[in-house]
Amino acid sequence: MTSLLLHYMQWFLIICAVVCIIRLLVGPTAADRLVALNILSGVALAFLVVRGVAQERVLYLDVALVYDIFGFLGFLAIARFLKDKISDGEEM
Amino acid sequence: MSVREWFALIAFASSVLFGSAGLVGMFRFPDPYSRMQAGGLCGTTAVFSAFIGALILAPNAAIAARVVVIMVFFLVSAPTGSYIVARFTWQSGTPVWKPLAKTKRLSRKKEPT
Repeated sequence: MTSLLLHYMQWFLIICAVVCIIRLLVGPTAADRLVALNILSGVALAFLVVRGVAQERVLYLDVALVYDIFGFLGFLAIARFLKDKISDGEEM
Repeated sequence: MSVREWFALIAFASSVLFGSAGLVGMFRFPDPYSRMQAGGLCGTTAVFSAFIGALILAPNAAIAARVVVIMVFFLVSAPTGSYIVARFTWQSGTPVWKPLAKTKRLSRKKEPT
């Protein structure tokens, strides 16, 4: 039963990630793209953790932690880069 | 179904619920700010309850300890990221969505036309 729960959870997180990518591509303004990017990193982190627990591989969890730290730093850099571009809104 | 699996089922069910609500909200809302709220809901609450479910189902202490560390750091980074996006959007003056005149029929009080 445990593996079943974790298996379906992984599929749900994959669907979440795909929908976030769609939002990322479609999003009219840069602000929507930043929001989608923020959620995408969270969902990817959750997928890594759930998969690490499902397959009982401790390596995935270390990867997830490092991914979260650098993802956050990368997100800061992207947000700062887009800071001036968010206002005009019509182009990325 | 042991007691652990029931709690994990509750955690994963809430994660699916919040995740789908957040995703629907991200496409339905008209305005970057309201999409941000739906996105924060989906990106933080759903992910955190998935962590709780994973923590409950963790087979040994090594995995459980790592999941706790990831939870702590995720609670720091995700809301900060959402805050930064909201702050940059607000500072750059993105206009806030206002309902059009014709959708005002829902409000009970008489609008001075």
